[in-house]
Amino acid sequence: MVYISIIIGCIIGAIIGLNSPIIPYTYSSYLAIAIIAALDTVFGGIASVIKGNFDLKIFLTGFFGNAILSILLTYLGNRLNVDIYLAAIIVFVGRMFTNLAIIRRYYVEKWSKKLDSLAESKKNKAEAKNK
Amino acid sequence: MIISIGAIALILTMVLFIQFKTVKETDITAIETMREAELRTELASWKAKYDEIAIKLQDTEDKISNYRNDIENNEKNSELLEQELIETEKYLGYTELKGEGIIVKLDDTDYKQVESSDILSLVNELRLAGAEAISINEERVVSTTEIVNVDTRFIIVNGKRIVAPYEIKAIGDKKYLESAISIKGGYVDEIKAKEITINYTIEDNVVIPKFSGKMSLQNAKVSN
Repeated sequence: MVYISIIIGCIIGAIIGLNSPIIPYTYSSYLAIAIIAALDTVFGGIASVIKGNFDLKIFLTGFFGNAILSILLTYLGNRLNVDIYLAAIIVFVGRMFTNLAIIRRYYVEKWSKKLDSLAESKKNKAEAKNK
Repeated sequence: MIISIGAIALILTMVLFIQFKTVKETDITAIETMREAELRTELASWKAKYDEIAIKLQDTEDKISNYRNDIENNEKNSELLEQELIETEKYLGYTELKGEGIIVKLDDTDYKQVESSDILSLVNELRLAGAEAISINEERVVSTTEIVNVDTRFIIVNGKRIVAPYEIKAIGDKKYLESAISIKGGYVDEIKAKEITINYTIEDNVVIPKFSGKMSLQNAKVSN
Protein backbone atom coordinates (compact mmCIF):
# COMPACT_ATOMS: atom_id res chain seq x y z
CA MET A 1 0.00 0.00 0.00
CA VAL A 2 2.81 2.38 0.86
CA TYR A 3 4.49 1.73 -2.49
CA ILE A 4 1.22 2.29 -4.38
CA SER A 5 0.66 5.62 -2.65
CA ILE A 6 4.26 6.67 -3.42
CA ILE A 7 3.90 5.77 -7.12
CA ILE A 8 0.54 7.55 -7.44
CA GLY A 9 1.96 10.60 -5.68
CA CYS A 10 4.97 10.62 -7.99
CA ILE A 11 2.83 10.39 -11.14
CA ILE A 12 0.42 13.12 -10.06
CA GLY A 13 3.31 15.29 -8.92
CA ALA A 14 5.08 14.86 -12.27
CA ILE A 15 1.94 15.80 -14.17
CA ILE A 16 1.35 18.90 -12.03
CA GLY A 17 5.01 19.87 -12.23
CA LEU A 18 5.11 19.57 -16.01
CA ASN A 19 2.01 21.74 -16.41
CA SER A 20 2.90 24.39 -13.86
CA PRO A 21 4.57 27.66 -14.88
CA ILE A 22 8.32 27.98 -14.49
CA ILE A 23 9.66 30.01 -11.61
CA PRO A 24 12.03 32.98 -12.08
CA TYR A 25 15.66 32.00 -12.47
CA THR A 26 16.62 33.98 -9.36
CA TYR A 27 14.61 31.65 -7.14
CA SER A 28 15.56 28.42 -8.84
CA SER A 29 18.72 28.09 -6.74
CA TYR A 30 16.60 28.21 -3.58
CA LEU A 31 14.30 25.58 -5.01
CA ALA A 32 17.26 23.38 -5.92
CA ILE A 33 18.55 23.51 -2.34
CA ALA A 34 15.06 22.68 -1.05
CA ILE A 35 14.92 19.69 -3.38
CA ILE A 36 18.29 18.43 -2.17
CA ALA A 37 17.15 18.77 1.45
CA ALA A 38 13.89 16.96 0.72
CA LEU A 39 15.70 14.16 -1.08
CA ASP A 40 18.04 13.82 1.88
CA THR A 41 15.07 13.51 4.20
CA VAL A 42 13.47 10.87 1.96
CA PHE A 43 16.61 8.75 1.92
CA GLY A 44 16.99 9.25 5.66
CA GLY A 45 13.39 8.06 6.06
CA ILE A 46 14.07 4.93 4.04
CA ALA A 47 17.19 4.26 6.07
CA SER A 48 15.26 4.68 9.31
CA VAL A 49 12.58 2.28 8.06
CA ILE A 50 15.33 -0.25 7.52
CA LYS A 51 16.77 0.44 10.94
CA GLY A 52 13.28 0.13 12.38
CA ASN A 53 13.09 3.51 14.10
CA PHE A 54 10.93 5.32 11.51
CA ASP A 55 8.75 8.08 12.96
CA LEU A 56 6.28 9.84 10.69
CA LYS A 57 6.37 13.08 12.71
CA ILE A 58 10.13 13.29 12.48
CA PHE A 59 9.99 12.45 8.79
CA LEU A 60 7.41 15.16 8.00
CA THR A 61 9.08 17.84 10.09
CA GLY A 62 12.42 16.90 8.60
CA PHE A 63 11.04 17.07 5.08
CA PHE A 64 9.59 20.55 5.39
CA GLY A 65 11.95 21.84 8.08
CA ASN A 66 15.09 20.93 6.19
CA ALA A 67 13.74 22.40 2.96
CA ILE A 68 12.74 25.70 4.58
CA LEU A 69 15.91 25.90 6.65
CA SER A 70 18.11 25.31 3.63
CA ILE A 71 16.24 28.00 1.70
CA LEU A 72 16.70 30.44 4.59
CA LEU A 73 20.38 29.59 4.85
CA THR A 74 20.86 30.14 1.13
CA TYR A 75 19.10 33.49 1.40
CA LEU A 76 21.29 34.45 4.32
CA GLY A 77 24.33 33.40 2.32
CA ASN A 78 23.25 35.62 -0.53
CA ARG A 79 22.83 38.53 1.87
CA LEU A 80 26.23 37.89 3.44
CA ASN A 81 27.85 37.16 0.07
CA VAL A 82 28.93 33.72 1.33
CA ASP A 83 28.04 30.59 -0.61
CA ILE A 84 26.32 28.86 2.30
CA TYR A 85 24.34 26.70 -0.10
CA LEU A 86 27.59 24.88 -0.91
CA ALA A 87 27.84 23.81 2.74
CA ALA A 88 24.19 22.75 2.68
CA ILE A 89 24.77 20.70 -0.46
CA ILE A 90 27.84 19.04 1.04
CA VAL A 91 26.01 18.15 4.23
CA PHE A 92 22.86 16.92 2.53
CA VAL A 93 24.56 14.99 -0.22
CA GLY A 94 27.04 13.50 2.25
CA ARG A 95 24.15 12.33 4.41
CA MET A 96 22.41 11.05 1.32
CA PHE A 97 25.43 8.90 0.52
CA THR A 98 25.56 7.61 4.09
CA ASN A 99 21.90 6.70 4.00
CA LEU A 100 22.27 5.13 0.57
CA ALA A 101 25.14 3.07 1.93
CA ILE A 102 22.96 1.88 4.80
CA ILE A 103 20.18 0.96 2.36
CA ARG A 104 22.61 -0.76 0.01
CA ARG A 105 24.22 -2.71 2.82
CA TYR A 106 20.84 -3.83 4.10
CA TYR A 107 19.64 -5.10 0.74
CA VAL A 108 22.97 -6.71 -0.17
CA GLU A 109 22.99 -8.60 3.14
CA LYS A 110 19.37 -9.56 2.65
CA TRP A 111 19.98 -10.90 -0.85
CA SER A 112 23.20 -12.67 0.01
CA LYS A 113 21.41 -14.38 2.93
CA LYS A 114 18.65 -15.42 0.55
CA LEU A 115 21.17 -16.76 -1.95
CA ASP A 116 23.00 -18.59 0.79
CA SER A 117 19.81 -20.14 2.09
CA LEU A 118 18.82 -21.10 -1.45
CA ALA A 119 22.18 -22.79 -2.06
CA GLU A 120 21.95 -24.53 1.30
CA SER A 121 18.47 -25.82 0.64
CA LYS A 122 19.62 -27.15 -2.78
CA LYS A 123 22.54 -28.86 -1.10
CA ASN A 124 20.25 -30.36 1.46
CA LYS A 125 17.89 -31.57 -1.26
CA ALA A 126 20.76 -33.11 -3.19
CA GLU A 127 22.06 -34.80 -0.06
CA ALA A 128 18.61 -36.13 0.66
CA LYS A 129 18.40 -37.56 -2.87
CA ASN A 130 21.78 -39.16 -2.56
CA LYS A 131 20.75 -40.78 0.65
CA MET B 1 0.58 7.59 7.17
CA ILE B 2 0.03 6.27 3.68
CA ILE B 3 -1.57 9.51 2.60
CA SER B 4 1.11 11.69 4.08
CA ILE B 5 3.90 9.68 2.45
CA GLY B 6 2.05 9.88 -0.89
CA ALA B 7 1.60 13.64 -0.43
CA ILE B 8 5.30 14.04 0.26
CA ALA B 9 6.13 12.03 -2.86
CA LEU B 10 3.75 14.28 -4.79
CA ILE B 11 5.28 17.49 -3.49
CA LEU B 12 8.81 16.25 -4.09
CA THR B 13 8.24 15.18 -7.70
CA MET B 14 6.22 18.32 -8.43
CA VAL B 15 9.00 20.59 -7.21
CA LEU B 16 11.58 18.44 -8.99
CA PHE B 17 9.81 18.76 -12.34
CA ILE B 18 9.27 22.48 -11.89
CA GLN B 19 12.98 22.83 -11.29
CA PHE B 20 13.78 20.65 -14.33
CA LYS B 21 11.61 22.85 -16.50
CA THR B 22 13.10 26.04 -15.11
CA VAL B 23 16.64 24.88 -15.69
CA LYS B 24 15.78 23.69 -19.18
CA GLU B 25 14.13 26.93 -20.23
CA THR B 26 16.81 29.23 -18.83
CA ASP B 27 19.79 27.44 -20.23
CA ILE B 28 22.03 30.44 -20.62
CA THR B 29 25.60 29.77 -19.57
CA ALA B 30 26.38 33.44 -19.07
CA ILE B 31 23.55 33.90 -16.62
CA GLU B 32 24.36 30.68 -14.80
CA THR B 33 27.83 31.83 -13.83
CA MET B 34 26.56 35.16 -12.52
CA ARG B 35 25.06 36.00 -9.24
CA GLU B 36 21.78 37.70 -8.76
CA ALA B 37 23.37 40.85 -7.41
CA GLU B 38 25.78 41.08 -10.33
CA LEU B 39 22.93 40.60 -12.72
CA ARG B 40 21.04 43.33 -10.95
CA THR B 41 23.85 45.84 -11.21
CA GLU B 42 24.35 44.83 -14.84
CA LEU B 43 20.67 45.31 -15.50
CA ALA B 44 20.67 48.68 -13.75
CA SER B 45 23.62 49.92 -15.80
CA TRP B 46 21.99 48.72 -19.00
CA LYS B 47 18.80 50.44 -18.01
CA ALA B 48 20.67 53.68 -17.36
CA LYS B 49 22.36 53.39 -20.74
CA TYR B 50 19.05 52.65 -22.37
CA ASP B 51 17.44 55.71 -20.78
CA GLU B 52 20.33 57.89 -21.90
CA ILE B 53 20.10 56.61 -25.43
CA ALA B 54 16.34 56.98 -25.43
CA ILE B 55 16.72 60.65 -24.44
CA LYS B 56 19.28 61.13 -27.19
CA LEU B 57 16.99 59.46 -29.67
CA GLN B 58 14.15 61.74 -28.60
CA ASP B 59 16.36 64.79 -29.07
CA THR B 60 17.47 63.66 -32.47
CA GLU B 61 13.92 62.94 -33.53
CA ASP B 62 12.84 66.38 -32.38
CA LYS B 63 15.65 67.94 -34.36
CA ILE B 64 14.72 65.94 -37.43
CA SER B 65 11.10 66.98 -37.18
CA ASN B 66 12.18 70.61 -36.76
CA TYR B 67 14.32 70.36 -39.85
CA ARG B 68 11.43 68.77 -41.72
CA ASN B 69 9.16 71.62 -40.70
CA ASP B 70 11.76 74.12 -41.81
CA ILE B 71 12.11 72.41 -45.15
CA GLU B 72 8.36 72.40 -45.63
CA ASN B 73 8.15 76.06 -44.73
CA ASN B 74 10.99 76.82 -47.09
CA GLU B 75 9.23 74.97 -49.84
CA LYS B 76 6.04 76.89 -49.24
CA ASN B 77 7.96 80.14 -49.08
CA SER B 78 9.86 79.41 -52.23
CA GLU B 79 6.63 78.50 -54.02
CA LEU B 80 5.07 81.75 -52.92
CA LEU B 81 8.20 83.63 -53.87
CA GLU B 82 8.23 82.03 -57.27
CA GLN B 83 4.62 82.96 -57.86
CA GLU B 84 5.33 86.48 -56.75
CA LEU B 85 8.35 86.57 -59.00
CA ILE B 86 6.32 85.45 -61.99
CA GLU B 87 3.69 88.05 -61.19
CA THR B 88 6.30 90.77 -60.83
CA GLU B 89 8.03 89.75 -64.03
CA LYS B 90 4.74 90.03 -65.86
CA TYR B 91 4.35 93.59 -64.66
CA LEU B 92 7.95 94.49 -65.29
CA GLY B 93 7.88 93.09 -68.79
CA TYR B 94 10.35 90.29 -68.35
CA THR B 95 7.96 87.71 -69.78
CA GLU B 96 6.43 87.26 -73.19
CA LEU B 97 2.71 87.88 -73.02
CA LYS B 98 -0.19 87.10 -75.28
CA GLY B 99 -3.87 87.88 -75.35
CA GLU B 100 -6.54 89.79 -77.22
CA GLY B 101 -5.61 93.26 -78.32
CA ILE B 102 -4.92 95.63 -81.16
CA ILE B 103 -2.14 96.11 -83.70
CA VAL B 104 -1.66 99.64 -85.04
CA LYS B 105 0.57 100.34 -88.05
CA LEU B 106 1.97 103.79 -88.74
CA ASP B 107 4.01 104.55 -91.79
CA ASP B 108 5.72 107.54 -93.35
CA THR B 109 4.26 109.09 -96.42
CA ASP B 110 6.24 110.87 -99.09
CA TYR B 111 6.03 114.22 -97.43
CA LYS B 112 5.47 113.40 -93.81
CA GLN B 113 7.37 111.32 -91.32
CA VAL B 114 6.16 109.70 -88.15
CA GLU B 115 7.54 111.46 -85.11
CA SER B 116 8.15 110.14 -81.64
CA SER B 117 5.37 112.32 -80.28
CA ASP B 118 2.88 110.49 -82.50
CA ILE B 119 3.94 107.16 -81.09
CA LEU B 120 4.06 108.58 -77.57
CA SER B 121 0.54 109.89 -77.75
CA LEU B 122 -0.63 106.58 -79.21
CA VAL B 123 0.97 104.73 -76.29
CA ASN B 124 -0.72 107.16 -73.89
CA GLU B 125 -4.08 106.65 -75.56
CA LEU B 126 -3.71 102.89 -75.40
CA ARG B 127 -2.73 103.06 -71.75
CA LEU B 128 -5.71 105.20 -71.02
CA ALA B 129 -7.85 102.55 -72.62
CA GLY B 130 -6.43 99.95 -70.24
CA ALA B 131 -3.65 98.36 -72.28
CA GLU B 132 -1.77 95.87 -70.17
CA ALA B 133 1.30 95.45 -72.33
CA ILE B 134 2.55 97.48 -75.28
CA SER B 135 5.36 97.00 -77.74
CA ILE B 136 6.76 99.16 -80.54
CA ASN B 137 8.39 97.23 -83.36
CA GLU B 138 8.89 94.25 -81.03
CA GLU B 139 10.37 96.51 -78.35
CA ARG B 140 8.47 96.13 -75.12
CA VAL B 141 7.35 99.37 -73.52
CA VAL B 142 8.30 99.25 -69.84
CA SER B 143 8.65 101.80 -67.06
CA THR B 144 12.07 102.94 -68.25
CA THR B 145 11.25 102.99 -71.96
CA GLU B 146 12.06 106.20 -73.78
CA ILE B 147 10.52 107.19 -77.09
CA VAL B 148 12.58 109.98 -78.60
CA ASN B 149 13.52 111.33 -81.98
CA VAL B 150 17.23 111.22 -82.68
CA ASP B 151 16.96 112.90 -86.03
CA THR B 152 14.28 112.82 -88.60
CA ARG B 153 15.09 109.34 -89.75
CA PHE B 154 14.73 107.19 -86.67
CA ILE B 155 13.25 106.94 -83.25
CA ILE B 156 14.95 105.40 -80.27
CA VAL B 157 12.96 103.01 -78.14
CA ASN B 158 14.67 101.13 -75.30
CA GLY B 159 17.97 102.39 -76.58
CA LYS B 160 17.43 100.86 -79.99
CA ARG B 161 16.89 102.59 -83.27
CA ILE B 162 13.66 101.74 -84.98
CA VAL B 163 12.50 102.89 -88.37
CA ALA B 164 9.26 103.10 -90.25
CA PRO B 165 6.95 101.29 -90.67
CA TYR B 166 6.05 101.29 -87.01
CA GLU B 167 3.94 98.53 -85.58
CA ILE B 168 2.48 99.16 -82.14
CA LYS B 169 0.95 96.16 -80.41
CA ALA B 170 -1.16 96.33 -77.28
CA ILE B 171 -2.85 93.70 -75.15
CA GLY B 172 -6.06 94.72 -73.43
CA ASP B 173 -9.78 94.78 -73.88
CA LYS B 174 -9.94 94.97 -77.67
CA LYS B 175 -13.22 96.97 -77.77
CA TYR B 176 -11.90 99.63 -75.41
CA LEU B 177 -8.60 99.82 -77.25
CA GLU B 178 -10.27 100.19 -80.61
CA SER B 179 -12.80 102.72 -79.52
CA ALA B 180 -10.15 104.75 -77.70
CA ILE B 181 -8.25 105.44 -80.88
CA SER B 182 -11.02 105.34 -83.45
CA ILE B 183 -13.37 107.72 -81.68
CA LYS B 184 -14.43 110.67 -83.81
CA GLY B 185 -11.84 113.39 -83.51
CA GLY B 186 -9.63 110.92 -81.76
CA TYR B 187 -6.14 109.66 -82.43
CA VAL B 188 -6.82 108.07 -85.82
CA ASP B 189 -8.46 111.21 -87.12
CA GLU B 190 -5.61 113.35 -85.82
CA ILE B 191 -2.97 111.19 -87.48
CA LYS B 192 -4.91 111.06 -90.71
CA ALA B 193 -5.09 114.85 -90.64
CA LYS B 194 -1.29 114.83 -90.40
CA GLU B 195 -1.27 112.74 -93.55
CA ILE B 196 0.42 109.79 -91.93
CA THR B 197 -0.66 106.33 -92.98
CA ILE B 198 -2.43 104.52 -90.22
CA ASN B 199 -4.32 101.27 -90.10
CA TYR B 200 -5.16 98.96 -87.29
CA THR B 201 -6.37 95.43 -86.83
CA ILE B 202 -8.03 93.83 -83.87
CA GLU B 203 -6.76 90.38 -83.04
CA ASP B 204 -7.53 87.70 -80.50
CA ASN B 205 -3.98 86.50 -80.15
CA VAL B 206 -1.50 89.35 -79.95
CA VAL B 207 1.97 88.24 -78.85
CA ILE B 208 4.14 90.84 -77.13
CA PRO B 209 7.81 89.98 -76.62
CA LYS B 210 9.58 90.38 -73.33
CA PHE B 211 11.82 93.28 -72.42
CA SER B 212 15.27 92.28 -73.57
CA GLY B 213 17.28 94.95 -71.75
CA LYS B 214 18.29 95.21 -68.15
CA MET B 215 16.97 97.57 -65.54
CA SER B 216 19.33 98.75 -62.85
CA LEU B 217 18.83 101.47 -60.31
CA GLN B 218 22.04 103.23 -59.37
CA ASN B 219 20.96 106.46 -57.73
CA ALA B 220 17.58 105.46 -56.42
CA LYS B 221 17.43 103.80 -53.03
CA VAL B 222 14.54 102.49 -51.04
CA SER B 223 13.34 105.17 -48.64
CA ASN B 224 11.67 104.31 -45.44
